[in-house]
Amino acid sequence: MQEAAVFFLHGLAYAGLLFLVSSGLTLVFGMMNVLNFAHASFYMLGAYFAYSLLLYTGNFWLALVASPLALFVVGALVERFLLRKVHELGHLHELLLTFGLAYIIQEGVKWLWGTNPQAMGMPSYLAEGVNIFGVTYPVYRLFVVGVAVGLGLLMALVLFTTRVGIIVRAAVDDHDMVSALGIRVPLVFMGVFAFGAALSGFAGVIAGPLLTVFPGMAHTILVDAFVVIVVGGMGSLGGAVLASFIIGELQSFGVILFPKFSLALIYMLMALVLVVRPEGLFGERQ
Amino acid sequence: MKAVGSLPRWLWPLVAALILVALPALLPRYQLRLVNEALIFSLYAVSYNLLLGYAGLLSFGHAMFFGVGAYATGLLVGKGAAMPFFGAVALATLVTTLVGFAVGLLLLRVRGTPFALLTLAFNALFYAVAIKWSDLTGGDDGLKLARPAIDLGITQIDTNVHAVFYYITLLAVGAALLYCWYFTRTSMGRTVLLMRENEERLRFVGYNTNISRLILFTLTGGLAGMAGSFYALFFSFVSLEAISIDMTTRVLLMTFIGGTGSFLGPVLGSGVFIYLQDYLSDLTDRWPLIMGLLFILMVLFAPGGLSGIIKNVAGYFVRTDRTKG
Repeated sequence: MQEAAVFFLHGLAYAGLLFLVSSGLTLVFGMMNVLNFAHASFYMLGAYFAYSLLLYTGNFWLALVASPLALFVVGALVERFLLRKVHELGHLHELLLTFGLAYIIQEGVKWLWGTNPQAMGMPSYLAEGVNIFGVTYPVYRLFVVGVAVGLGLLMALVLFTTRVGIIVRAAVDDHDMVSALGIRVPLVFMGVFAFGAALSGFAGVIAGPLLTVFPGMAHTILVDAFVVIVVGGMGSLGGAVLASFIIGELQSFGVILFPKFSLALIYMLMALVLVVRPEGLFGERQ
Repeated sequence: MKAVGSLPRWLWPLVAALILVALPALLPRYQLRLVNEALIFSLYAVSYNLLLGYAGLLSFGHAMFFGVGAYATGLLVGKGAAMPFFGAVALATLVTTLVGFAVGLLLLRVRGTPFALLTLAFNALFYAVAIKWSDLTGGDDGLKLARPAIDLGITQIDTNVHAVFYYITLLAVGAALLYCWYFTRTSMGRTVLLMRENEERLRFVGYNTNISRLILFTLTGGLAGMAGSFYALFFSFVSLEAISIDMTTRVLLMTFIGGTGSFLGPVLGSGVFIYLQDYLSDLTDRWPLIMGLLFILMVLFAPGGLSGIIKNVAGYFVRTDRTKG
């Protein structure tokens, strides 16, 4: 029973990371109809920026704030100067562009930081263990869960109670109409894209101490995040929450229950959802 | 562009074929190997372009077929199975075709962006299986294989001779490419084009586009598997790279750099890619970065690829003959 609790918490921590990455992905897709293959590359860049900042300043909290800010700028630039350029060429080219971008970022990271996994430190008080359910559990994982839940709530608060939130949700539904109402939709796009990049970068920073920093980290979480938005429904934030939770736990318990097939479990889930409900749990039928 | 000078159109393929046949006599061994590799990747890229250029289906999972073809060949000629050369290629192609059919049944339930996403996820699944099932695939160590000799009854042909393997590749890949070209001319191939342009209208006319799409997906899967099979025989080795996302990226870059708008674009693309890779990898370890930048620049500024550029430039030099339309 204690073990089950530990694995549940493990799953929760990974679900938190997944949610932070996939929420931006799904919002951007809902709004701009662009699936950003480079989204997880922002996650990786966030981790590497933080790794370097930590190396030179030794301050974890500085890295936690500065790295997402840098990614916000990167995201805004990518949207403004690359994505918007190919928009008129259609979907296919947008996908190709983000895919190429992911490839370049991956190769660039290998060039600048090397291919070896790098360990990332954390403040000593987060590195300790705490006694819950009668077992000692690392504080850091609880921190990850707490931060993800906190950010998720904050995001929900902004999306559902503020004017900005109303505009974003309306733009997800029908951006032509929002544009007709006199709102500068391209600016909203840029903002959401940059915000998603920052969120992804933030997830990268907090993932660093947990999973180490390595050039394959983008692709690993990208595939999982894709499964999340397929299962949850593309464009749905609520779906991202639920699916992140399911997949985080499935990953965690899969390793102990079916060690041989743990990798295949999430794909089986995805295949099941595709057959039974191709639009995803919370998705809209087209 | 009906005629450059006054030569008939059918002459060009003939000249190209003659040059390809004469190459082993003209090129040193290393250069011949590059051409051989480019030929194999031509088939891979043309099969990919049937999806991307002809049907407008963007797949990020083509390496799963290439990899399955490569691993199947590795297992069929090695590990005690010891199949003959063409038997192994044919069986590997058949296996991949079946895999393509099965994957297509599942993936083609969705369109557009979700399709692109799922192909990537499935490629990741195949890669994961290849790592985990190391009894079969050799895991990180990969599979070694020896090219089987071709038994003609009276005599045996040693396929380890470079020129021999080159001719076999030329014959098999050439036949497969001809078949692809023929396919684009059949009414089935035309249906695929129409599907890209206006699927709704096609359905109104009474075509079952789902079946057309599945047939195309299955066919391209099999062709990619055949390319993978030759890839395995060419290197006498199969590693995880063959089924990895890098192999998908590679075919995407080749196809796009060559140009998705024409049948021969991907052939040009794979030639350029192989030579550029050979040249750049001597200069720097970071050649993939350069390839990636080239790709992004083409997406931004030359979406028609090299063949698009060539068509454009050639357009300026051809005698304008507007009266003929």
